[in-house]
Amino acid sequence: MNAAGQRTLLTGNQAVAWAVRLCRPQVIPVYPITPQTPILEQISAFSAAGEMTAEILTPESEHSAIAASIAASLTGARVFTATSSQGLLLMHELLHWAAGVRSAVVMCNVNRTVASPWGFWPDQTDSLAQRDTGWIQWYTESAQESLDAVIMAFRLAEGVNLPVMICHDAFYVSHALETVIVPGQAAVDRFLPAYSPRFNIDPAAARSVGSNVDQTTYRRARKDIGAAMTEAGVMTDAIAAEWSGLTGRDQHGAVEIYRCEDAEQVFVTMGSLCGTVREAVDSLRGQGHRIGLLKVRQFRPFPGDQLRGLLRGRERVMVLDRNYSPGNGGILHQEARAALYGMQGQPAVLGYLAGVGGVNVTPADLVRMAIESGPVGQDDNKFTSVWL
Amino acid sequence: MREILIVGRGGQGAQTAGNLLAQAFFSAGQYVQSFATYGGARRGTPVSSTIRVDARPIRLRCDVTQADALLCFDASLLDQALLNRTRPEALIVVNSVRSPEEFAVAGERRVYTIDGFKLAEAHNLGRFINSALLGAFCAALRDPPAEVMSRTISETTPDRRPENLAAFHAGFRTGEGIA
Repeated sequence: MNAAGQRTLLTGNQAVAWAVRLCRPQVIPVYPITPQTPILEQISAFSAAGEMTAEILTPESEHSAIAASIAASLTGARVFTATSSQGLLLMHELLHWAAGVRSAVVMCNVNRTVASPWGFWPDQTDSLAQRDTGWIQWYTESAQESLDAVIMAFRLAEGVNLPVMICHDAFYVSHALETVIVPGQAAVDRFLPAYSPRFNIDPAAARSVGSNVDQTTYRRARKDIGAAMTEAGVMTDAIAAEWSGLTGRDQHGAVEIYRCEDAEQVFVTMGSLCGTVREAVDSLRGQGHRIGLLKVRQFRPFPGDQLRGLLRGRERVMVLDRNYSPGNGGILHQEARAALYGMQGQPAVLGYLAGVGGVNVTPADLVRMAIESGPVGQDDNKFTSVWL
Repeated sequence: MREILIVGRGGQGAQTAGNLLAQAFFSAGQYVQSFATYGGARRGTPVSSTIRVDARPIRLRCDVTQADALLCFDASLLDQALLNRTRPEALIVVNSVRSPEEFAVAGERRVYTIDGFKLAEAHNLGRFINSALLGAFCAALRDPPAEVMSRTISETTPDRRPENLAAFHAGFRTGEGIA
């Protein structure tokens, strides 16, 4: 394996496991769930082969897995966990705890439909429903991006003392076998030194965290999380720039733009759908349309300032949501609209529910959608998302 | 970019065949993206595996709806709905004792049949037909090269390696003869 890394064939889940191995975590509590399980299987295989030394805990539920993760992180250990859908929902209460006690847990959530009805399909409602828990959230498009994201996430989580959730879509990323460059151990070690926590719990010097507080202290703790989120928003871009330099591959921070230079219309979306949108953008550009893509990689902290800067003066923004908030619509649509509202040069913002429940979305669907949306007009002021 | 569809019943090895094919294209220097249906998959139910192959990185993240080539492990699955997932000029290799003419398919689709069970049994593989079918498919598709595919099988087959390699080469020769 040379410094630039080893070109190999991995699924998105295997790529995550490889990244975890390279980051040398000490504790990995995980409860299996489709379609996350191959992450745990690959980590277990590395461990069985003596290639990882982390303590792998397999408690009786996701609730206990995240509880163990939080506690281990507070002792100063580097901690990874992974889950999906129902498992993430079972963790919900403790997701707030993880951020509240300022743990630095890194988690991979495989985005899968939430029951009922039961399904295994890509849909981001599971993690978007955790948006107010205080976790930093990243959404990735490919196995390669998931691998790089895990490595960068440890830097960020341990830098600002907030947990980071990396979300990749079931099936199209988690189970797709594709070309992945696995970086060398030396590059990762240089980028990610051992975790040195600013505070930790230790039986030899007893103290408690997350105890009963008065109103003012609670409010201060929330404001501190807010400040850490702001800091994370800045650090993400710096970390991506540093990892780009070490890998020789382009890494992106909170957002990535594709062919937006003179774009009048811009697609905005997250996760695996971005790849399909790139093909649609190329096709529409070939037909003379000035169109591009803004990919939101970081949903929390929400990069509202970057959206405002990059989308100012565009004619129209088309937000694609692979999620659904019943009674309101697409979650990214609502947040993007709110971020862009009231600024000078505000574009019209349209929302499309595209791929909800894992429904197939092809470049042809998106090309048709963009062409049929016609000139900017009255319809662009619609508040609700449209089902594609 | 080429898009390939492999369809079989759970337990027949269609998904393994898909992974082996993806590995071979990768070894031959191509970019690949391969995924299989899962979730409802269990022994006997229809399962499918898809592979995209290109000289440049593959960005598409959607289902294969117009495959250039189809490898079908069970002729009973080759219905109109499945044919609709292939291009009108698609190459189709199907495991069957019947002749290609007995498969009425529309358009310019080229159908080749191969008796996978006969080849598997001849090489002491019982009902494991994937190596034989992969041989015929590679020959009909003229890609990936036989030596790359056989090396992939050799490197990844956990059990009965010589038998699987022999079945692959027998399938390949049969494929060369009919395609």
